Order: sequence, then structure tokens, then C-alpha cells
Amino acid sequence: MTRKILIPAVLGMALAAGCATKKGFEKPGYAFGCPIGEAKVSSMEDLVRTKVQAEGRRTTIQATEMRCSQSGDLMRIDANLNNDSKAVKRISYKFRWIDREGMRAWDEEPWKPVMLYENSNLVINTISPTNKAADFRLILRSEE
Amino acid sequence: MKARLVVAFAAAALAAGCAKETTRYGDARSVETITNQFGSTDLQMMAETMARSMLQAPAIASANLPIVTVQEVRNKTSEYIDTRAITDSIRSELQKGGRVRFAVDQAGMNPQVEELKRQQSELYAKDQRAEMGQMVGAQYRLEGNIISIVKQVRDTKDVYYKLNLQLWNIRNGLLEWSDEKEIRKTTTKG
Repeated sequence: MTRKILIPAVLGMALAAGCATKKGFEKPGYAFGCPIGEAKVSSMEDLVRTKVQAEGRRTTIQATEMRCSQSGDLMRIDANLNNDSKAVKRISYKFRWIDREGMRAWDEEPWKPVMLYENSNLVINTISPTNKAADFRLILRSEE
Repeated sequence: MKARLVVAFAAAALAAGCAKETTRYGDARSVETITNQFGSTDLQMMAETMARSMLQAPAIASANLPIVTVQEVRNKTSEYIDTRAITDSIRSELQKGGRVRFAVDQAGMNPQVEELKRQQSELYAKDQRAEMGQMVGAQYRLEGNIISIVKQVRDTKDVYYKLNLQLWNIRNGLLEWSDEKEIRKTTTKG
């Protein structure tokens, strides 16, 4: 009887432990492949909050997902932008590259305009311009 | 009646003469939508996209500082575009990233040779002058095309640009990398 209760309990605990973090087996300082430094990131929402900034005119477009991977010594980034409104939205974005010391690793990028259809997603992607870029921020701005 | 007209004209002339003109510095990297002709935002976006894409090409990513020469980007659009500005920006971005070296291109060949020849004169110290026959040939050449499709109906003008770039292996003639960047701009009056 005790055994019958114990096995599901152990299985349940193992499952819970496995699901406790979405980061999986990632090296320290990384979440979903993206560098996070000392920041506490336990979910995709946390990661997006850490990496995405708004500048200038605010937009209702939200970054909902972000994933990073290494391509040689450069960082590849995919970010999903979501327009959950019933209108076409126009925004511009840029990435800001930061080196290991927290200084700018690259010049300010040009703003890149994009259009999102109503109730749609758009994946923007980029690769770091230099291997000195150890971290990044995605900056969004409304163009309406 | 006449007096009123004179006063009105004088006021209009004054207003036109006193219209305040202001000059301000702006953000060179902001989105520019003054007209739908090829503009700074198009140039910057094309150059950045192409340079980043090229960084991922195996010929560049897995090689140790490959040497590239920039050839012509043919302007097949209906407007004047300085395509050299596009390739110059791509070259600057790649050079700054430190992953590619660039050999002197056709446009820069004459000044290069002239300077080399000039240094062979007796005026220069022998041990400091650039030797003839030491220039390095490129392994790859970068070339491409930019096209546009323009459509206009009454108050709407639609412009579509496509830049296609190719990186060719000079030794064996293989295409090592190619990519495209498309831009659509629509202007509506009223």
C-alpha cells in the first residue's frame, strides 16, 4: 500500500522538478539560449521583460517570445512580435549590442520599420555584428 | 476698398517674409518617409541585412579573414541610386566586425597603382617604400543588382525594391553566398 502511494509521489515530484524551470539544462547565465547575466529569469515573460525596451512613442506591439543560439562565435536571435489588435500596426525596431563590460559593443543600429497585420505575429531575427557582443536589448518604437 | 486690398497684400507679404525658418539636427538612423524614393532608411536596412547575412555564409564564417573585392551593384531601377553607397556601408560593417578583409577594387585600382608608382621614385627612402608586386588578390568578389517595380494609380504609388547580392569564388567560379532584401513602400495622397 505504502509502495503504491510512494511511486506516484516520487514520479510526481520528479515531474514537478523537471517542469520547475523552462530553462532546462542551460549553462548558468543563460535562459532560452539568451545571455541574462545575473538577472533572475524563470519564464519566457521574464526573459522578454529583461531584453525588450520601448523608446520614443510607445507601441501596443508586444514581444512574446525570444530565443537565442550560437552561430560560431556570434549570437543569433529570434524574437516574436505580436499584434493582438484589430488594426494594422507599424513599428520600428533595433538591437543594441552590449559587451562583457556592459559597454556598447557596436554603433547604434538604424531603426528598421516593420508592419504587422491585425491579429498576427512576426518573427524578426538578427545575428550579432561582432563577437564582442555578449548581450543585447531589443528596442521597439511606434511609427504611427 | 483699394486701401483694404493694399493692407491685405502688405500683411500677406510681411507674413511670408517673416515665416520662421528653423534648422535642427536629427537622428541619421531614424525612419525616413518623406517621399517613397530610395532613401537613407532603405540604404541602411539593405546594408545591415546583407552584411549580417554574409557573416553567416560558410565561406566567411569558417574561413580565416577571407579577402573580398567589391564589384558593381547594377542599378536596374527607374531612379538614380548610388549603389556604391550600399556596398560601401556593407564593407564598413564587415570590416568593423573584423571577419573579412577587402582587397582594392576596380574603382580604387588607379589611385592604388599611382601611389605605388609614386613611391618608387628616388624621393622615398628605399627601406620604407612599398614594394611593387606585393598586392594581394581577392578570393571572393561581391556583386549584385538592385531592381524596382513602381506602380501608380491615381492617388496611390507603390514602390518595391529588391537588392540581390552574390559572393563568387574567384578561383573556381562557385557561388558561395547569395541573399536578397526586399522593401515595399506605398504612398497615398489625401
